[in-house]
Amino acid sequence: MSSLKPFSKLPALNTANILLVESEEQLQQSLAAALVEEASVTVNVRLAKSLPLPVENEESRPRIDLVVFIINLTSELSFQSAEASLKYLDPGYFLGKVCFMVTNARSASVPTERLDGVRKLAASLHCPLLFAEDQTSDGVTNATERLLTMLKVAAGLVPMATALYLSHLTRCTVPPDIDQPSFD
Amino acid sequence: MDDSARRLLQRLIRRIPAQMLKTTLEKWGRLTAAQKQSMDFTEPKWAFTERLLDICEENGWTGKHITELEMTYVIDNPNQGMWYAFQLMDPEDDARSVELTHFKEQFKSHLSELARPVSVKIKKHADDAIWIRIAWGDSFSRPNHLKPTYVVHHLQTPYVFVTSLTSKQKPFLSQALVLSTRHQAIKDASLSGRKLGAIRDLLMRQYQQVFPTSYPSPLAERNETVSNPQIEKEQAKSAENRLQMACEAFGDGMLPQLQSSVYKLETKFKDHTNKTMTEREEPFRCVVKFASTNLLESLRHCAASGIASTPVTPLLSSIPLKGRNYFVIKDNGPGPSSQTRQTQN
Repeated sequence: MSSLKPFSKLPALNTANILLVESEEQLQQSLAAALVEEASVTVNVRLAKSLPLPVENEESRPRIDLVVFIINLTSELSFQSAEASLKYLDPGYFLGKVCFMVTNARSASVPTERLDGVRKLAASLHCPLLFAEDQTSDGVTNATERLLTMLKVAAGLVPMATALYLSHLTRCTVPPDIDQPSFD
Repeated sequence: MDDSARRLLQRLIRRIPAQMLKTTLEKWGRLTAAQKQSMDFTEPKWAFTERLLDICEENGWTGKHITELEMTYVIDNPNQGMWYAFQLMDPEDDARSVELTHFKEQFKSHLSELARPVSVKIKKHADDAIWIRIAWGDSFSRPNHLKPTYVVHHLQTPYVFVTSLTSKQKPFLSQALVLSTRHQAIKDASLSGRKLGAIRDLLMRQYQQVFPTSYPSPLAERNETVSNPQIEKEQAKSAENRLQMACEAFGDGMLPQLQSSVYKLETKFKDHTNKTMTEREEPFRCVVKFASTNLLESLRHCAASGIASTPVTPLLSSIPLKGRNYFVIKDNGPGPSSQTRQTQN
């Protein structure tokens, strides 16, 4: 089974590579455009709909420093697709090189179980969970900044900080009463 | 001008939106320059109607002229109400040589024989479309001009588009059309929509079609888009394949605007987890309706983005292929005049 491995390739100088996985292929386009504008570091963005990635690109693909799963909470398909893609990642990625980004969390049509499900998934994998607002350019800019912070650490470009260390601080936790009915 | 003509004019002016009044009256062309000057298009509609009624009295116009105005308005704004498509079948040998004056005479005479009294107005539009306005009456009353039927036909094509036709009037219209166009039968094309242009373009294939090729993009170098070299799509090839298949099924560019597609299922219920329903002998009747402001565009996007699996299922690709949006689906075995298919789980 072809899985993406975190350390099987050599890094490039002052470069960070990020992989955005999104079933709808919407937010990843605007995030990519904003990410490559970063001046201090060369950011390479790879876009995918789901994993596994095609074998043809194996040679030309650089070492991926951070994998971001973008889940649209209004779609069950989005969540299932992200969950199914997780098996194609080498376990080494889950030491701080994977992050979940969720959109439309404020939407009234989202069932609470889905957000709880994403939370539990992120917590069980010790990954951070970011909430993004994808409809405005400000929202995209904010999401980009947060991703860049994590990306620079994951690519080893920040002295004295490693991805594993950062993930201890940023990882998602579930409140102990998550399975209790809420007050809606 | 008698009462019914007056009422017709009032109804018509109320129906035409204020911004279209001026252009419609210009197109009608019956007002003299002086009368046009005297009309004030900014006054409220009831005042405007009074002024127009005065002018009509001055010029001695009758209901006939008012129906002409109505027809001018409808020809320019056909997208109101539902249009239904019909197809003429089995042309006779001289069907291809039916020309306009012959058709007009024949249609008027056949229809008047079948459904008297009836008031028919035929007009040829610039793009070779023949517009027919029919006001139906019965043995007790004069033709009712408040509920006319409009028919659009392009000569030498087998398609006819109709709006506002009741089931009682249908046989008369069908018979008159069949006889005057020299065909043997007419059938319902199972296509309906709000926009006349859209259903016409769909049936006559006036949209950009994409044909299957082995080498879709001409030269890779020529297609260098200005996208950032730092951004790379991993699954670009499969995305391109999906897009190609979606375009092959539905077409490229602007697609005719259909509003809905209806599937009437008369198939047996099939679900292994539900024994009681599966054991029933009778088919499980169910109607599935897809609705959208631009249905074909939505379906093409579904196929291109992977929501609908590619290659596109014939249930969806038959809409542009067969030019219909009403399907009846039965379990194996041919039905009389309905679309039949194998059931899919």
